[in-house]
Amino acid sequence: MKKIVEVKELTKEYKNLKAVNNLSFEVEKGEILGLLGPNGSGKSTTINCILALLNYQKGLIKIFDKPMTPEAYDIKRKIGVIFQDVAVFDELNVYDNIDYFCGLYVSDKQTRKKYVNDAIKLVGLEDFEKFLPKQLSGGLLRRLNIACGIAHKPELIILDEPTVAVDPQSRNNILSGIKKLRDTGATIIYTTHYMEEVEILCDRIIILDKGSVIAQGTIDELKRLAKIEEKVTVEVTDLEEKYVHKISTFKNVESVSYTGTLLLITYKKGKNNLLELMDYLKSEGIKYNKIFSERPSLNDVFLELTGKELRD
Amino acid sequence: MFTHNLKYSLKILFKNKTLIFWTFAFPIILGVFFYLAFSNIEKTETFSSIPIAVIENDTWNNSLTYKETIKVLSDKNNEDRIFKTTYIKTEKEGQKLLNEDNIVGYLIIDDTPKIIIKKNGTSETIFKQVIDEIQEKEKTIENLVQIEISKNKEENIEMIYNQVITKVMNLSIEENIKDVSSSKLSYVVIEYYTLIAMSCLYSGTLAMCMVNKCLANMSSNGKRVSVSSISKGKLILGSLISSYIAAIIGLALLLIFTTLILKVDFGSHFALIILLSLVGTLSGLSLGTFTSVICKSNENTKIGIIIAITMLGCFLSGMMGITMKYIIDKNVPIINKINPASMITDGFYSLYYYEGLERYIFNIISLLIFSFILLFISYLNLRRQSYDSI
Repeated sequence: MKKIVEVKELTKEYKNLKAVNNLSFEVEKGEILGLLGPNGSGKSTTINCILALLNYQKGLIKIFDKPMTPEAYDIKRKIGVIFQDVAVFDELNVYDNIDYFCGLYVSDKQTRKKYVNDAIKLVGLEDFEKFLPKQLSGGLLRRLNIACGIAHKPELIILDEPTVAVDPQSRNNILSGIKKLRDTGATIIYTTHYMEEVEILCDRIIILDKGSVIAQGTIDELKRLAKIEEKVTVEVTDLEEKYVHKISTFKNVESVSYTGTLLLITYKKGKNNLLELMDYLKSEGIKYNKIFSERPSLNDVFLELTGKELRD
Repeated sequence: MFTHNLKYSLKILFKNKTLIFWTFAFPIILGVFFYLAFSNIEKTETFSSIPIAVIENDTWNNSLTYKETIKVLSDKNNEDRIFKTTYIKTEKEGQKLLNEDNIVGYLIIDDTPKIIIKKNGTSETIFKQVIDEIQEKEKTIENLVQIEISKNKEENIEMIYNQVITKVMNLSIEENIKDVSSSKLSYVVIEYYTLIAMSCLYSGTLAMCMVNKCLANMSSNGKRVSVSSISKGKLILGSLISSYIAAIIGLALLLIFTTLILKVDFGSHFALIILLSLVGTLSGLSLGTFTSVICKSNENTKIGIIIAITMLGCFLSGMMGITMKYIIDKNVPIINKINPASMITDGFYSLYYYEGLERYIFNIISLLIFSFILLFISYLNLRRQSYDSI
């Protein structure tokens, strides 16, 4: 596969803080790479270094097989960026904002008009073309932000936490829009601290913490890093301690916790764990509202590797 | 792409209500305030002759200097005459006129001139000042008259006195107010000059806002345009040109409004007025660009800085009181040499009051140097494409 982005041994320091530490990764054509990590893990700094907005102390960054520099306009022409902060002009309406940013890449008016309309359609802003940014809701504003970044049909799209503070409906719209972009052949780097998003979107994930890669691979590869294989949650009231203790002695159980009305049991491995638990609860006459089993999430992987929650 | 950027930069500027207010509306509103505040001042301050009396005793009749000077200063045909003089014979008559408030005072020439007044006031002070002036210049006048008489023996002595007195008294006035102008002094017009200077310098806020939008370390829009395929130079140039165009339109509106609606007389050198305005606006633009590049604070703080510099500059160049300009010129002249508002005001002033263009050209060159220095420093900073932190 053709490499679109190559980052080798990237190190970026701010005075006494190493924001990015010896980071290396590659992004192949057509894939969605997720950069996952808590706030302050170095995701945005990495993106800013890739875009040559930030100076860095060490490392090599190549995009489309060429070194990325601030003057590499031929490379920049093929990149679309959606930053974490909404970057639109308050004075321009939706159409003009997209047209302005698209015009920084595409000079032909007819082509640009088509591209702008395509972008508006992609993010679902057809009914808001004449609206000013201040007249849009937070979610619609985020969609406009995305449209401004991708209207020129870039080959490489970098999205830096595009769904922060977005309502569920707009988030779904944004995520489906990103999938559509991937379907058109674009290569995408997607940074977020929402693990659900990378699970839905990304082909490959890099988990960052304190500027360093702590794990990378496909979702299945990463989940295999977690010690647990299954999580069972039971909604039950007034469960006595003796039952909790008994459950903890079951085969394959890694841990048991009972907080409020939620009983959470993690299993190292094994099959039929849920059936065994349900049989036990029935035999003891313990009534419960809900019971469900799930596979470990990326948060569990992160917890396993760093000892802290992803959203701490 | 350059024209695309220019077109949208103009659109952004003209749709920014805050900027439009400060650039277009505020100077016009201030102009209206000036008009309301000052339009009657010059009318009310139109000098009305001071009624005085002179006792025609023997000394008076022999003192040609006093006699001719008072005559010249009381000439009915002179629209700028200072005194309306009544000639009387006795002090009793003078006292009667004074008590009836028909005169502000009367003059008796004995060994020395003596003024009798009833109270202290502006008219009384002027009366005393003029008599003191005559006393001070008496010897000079006498000497000059003697010289003129020796040159032109056939001439009428009274006429010679008249000519010499006129010359000496005019010279005296010029020395006092240092005016070698070709026009009458109107400090209200100077207020409007500072208003134009302020308008020119307000273009700095436009430039600052537009340059901010191009810098990745200043705004999120700056980040987005910085990663686009258009060069930073073209972006900033487009932004500055659009700011300049918007500022010029604002300035044109102000000039049209003040000349056509408020009927302010800026003199006859209209092309030179426009040239100075264009150069003045360039200096404002350079000030805004410099502030945008050098200050690492947010946009509102930068706007505050530019407005503060502009207002301070206009204050020092005489916006809130014309005497300030003279005080600065006299005590700390360097301030007005580096104050763009003062350079603009002084350029207009020289254009209006002086025959030659030397002082005007000096101010134009000073403004260009000021602009060049600020733009050059800005350019050195703007060359940097990547940042240590954003």
